[in-house]
Amino acid sequence: MNKKPFNLSKLILTGYFFVVILYLVFPIFIVIPISFSNNPFLRFPPSNLGVFWYETYFSDSGWVEATLLSLKVALLACAISTLVGTMAVLVLERKALRSKNLLTYFITSPIIVPHIFISLGMFIFAIRLGIEDNAITLAFAHATIAFPFVVLIVGASHRQLDPTFERAARVLGAGPVRAFFSAAFPSLLPGIVAAAVFSFFVSFDELIIAEFMMSGQQTLPMRIWADLKLEMRPTIAAVSSILIVASIIGMGAAEILRRRSVNMSNN
Amino acid sequence: MNTNRKITSTWLLWPALFMLVAFFLIPTLDILRASVYDPEFTTKHFVKLFGSNVYLEILWRTIRLSLIVSLICAVIAYPVSYFIVLRPRKQQIFFLFLVFIPLWMSVLIRSYAWMVVLGREGLINAIMIGLGFTDQPVKMLFTTGAVYIAMVQILLPIQIVTCYSAMSEIDFDLMRAARILGAKPWQAIRRVFLPLSLDGTVTGAIIVFMLSMGFFITPALVGGRKDIMMANLIEFQVNQLNWGFAAAISIVLLIATVISVFIIKRLAKTLTRRLVGGGSA
Repeated sequence: MNKKPFNLSKLILTGYFFVVILYLVFPIFIVIPISFSNNPFLRFPPSNLGVFWYETYFSDSGWVEATLLSLKVALLACAISTLVGTMAVLVLERKALRSKNLLTYFITSPIIVPHIFISLGMFIFAIRLGIEDNAITLAFAHATIAFPFVVLIVGASHRQLDPTFERAARVLGAGPVRAFFSAAFPSLLPGIVAAAVFSFFVSFDELIIAEFMMSGQQTLPMRIWADLKLEMRPTIAAVSSILIVASIIGMGAAEILRRRSVNMSNN
Repeated sequence: MNTNRKITSTWLLWPALFMLVAFFLIPTLDILRASVYDPEFTTKHFVKLFGSNVYLEILWRTIRLSLIVSLICAVIAYPVSYFIVLRPRKQQIFFLFLVFIPLWMSVLIRSYAWMVVLGREGLINAIMIGLGFTDQPVKMLFTTGAVYIAMVQILLPIQIVTCYSAMSEIDFDLMRAARILGAKPWQAIRRVFLPLSLDGTVTGAIIVFMLSMGFFITPALVGGRKDIMMANLIEFQVNQLNWGFAAAISIVLLIATVISVFIIKRLAKTLTRRLVGGGSA
């Protein structure tokens, strides 16, 4: 079978691929040069280079507090969703439950329902209980939208596990808990870390639930949102650039870990 | 001692179920209740919604925009996924990594990036004026076109990845077998590659469609006043403290999404069958 019909079509396909990649990637990186301009307005090309907007960001207590609040909420949400999600995986992947399909549907349903719908529901619910405008409530709300992803990611690495290791540990006399932590957990860890990083960013970037629920304090996305609606000051370019670099580092590390976990079980 | 026993106790599932019930199931019921009790039973919110051309137009606009966005994504993504799947394994990982980069950025920042690119003093206007194509900045930001450009860019990686994973599961030996058994190259593609890859395309398009239906940030930031969608309407009503009406809109949005997905699935099935010519492999 001739796999390569003629080279022209291959060339066109390659060119097309890189045009699409350019369209996907370049708008993101265009923000970075903008952030190093000292102009009071957003303008192309950036002139008057400097770190003025980074200084503005770090010296404005509003921005710093918003960032700290987002970090706090995201760390808590990430801890909750990773723990709860991983525990759920251990049951869903190991136990022969009769209602397993139904359970999986239920657990992943927050991914499918429009985000704005869940946000409104959580808001009405929190108001009814009088727990709105509270960082802990917000963290639980974020954990709820993040943990279906944890179930999917950790579930995928669990399916790669070799069950004989854990059985061997049990035969050698370890209790079920110890057998799990010494034989299965190390291979699950990269998947768990990847899921944790992912849920951290789900929470850190979330706007609508926070916008509905929080009235006294602002998270970072709320602050960016408020500023964007007023005027497009380059402070946002500075904040965005920091976040872009942070996301690339975080997700890049998570991706490497996830790959390693998949490769490890393939070998 | 039963050495097959591992930690599988069902109690490990309780926190997950508790969280889902408290932060997902009960809130959903709260929306249902808020939409029809105010404080006595009433259908006034739904009557208001369906009695007004303005709201119905926003609903139709949301559905139409989501359909067009998912269609554009499907068309752009198919050759991209095909390109990746034909590469050697190591290269596939690298190319997927490139596709993944924008997926890691927050939608807020990606929408902001499009404001920088398309704005009055943005990148494209600067280039066009610099090259002498125009001496007045062209209005691109705050238009419907900008919403399409930005939403497709934001959702495209999801479509590419879904389509790619369907294609990568296709057994190329199956196509070779078809060829050996006397099928022409086009027949092998049509009977084996096409049906399986189209399944992935439809799945991706449905995910993109569902996400578009709830889109909020991008239409608000890069669209004009005429581009508000259902989600923006809901946010507006919440800020006006019309929770009951916001709840009614949310329910209509959810139901519209479910019905549309059902219709898309049906249509896609018929179309695929016609394209492939009879039963699929």
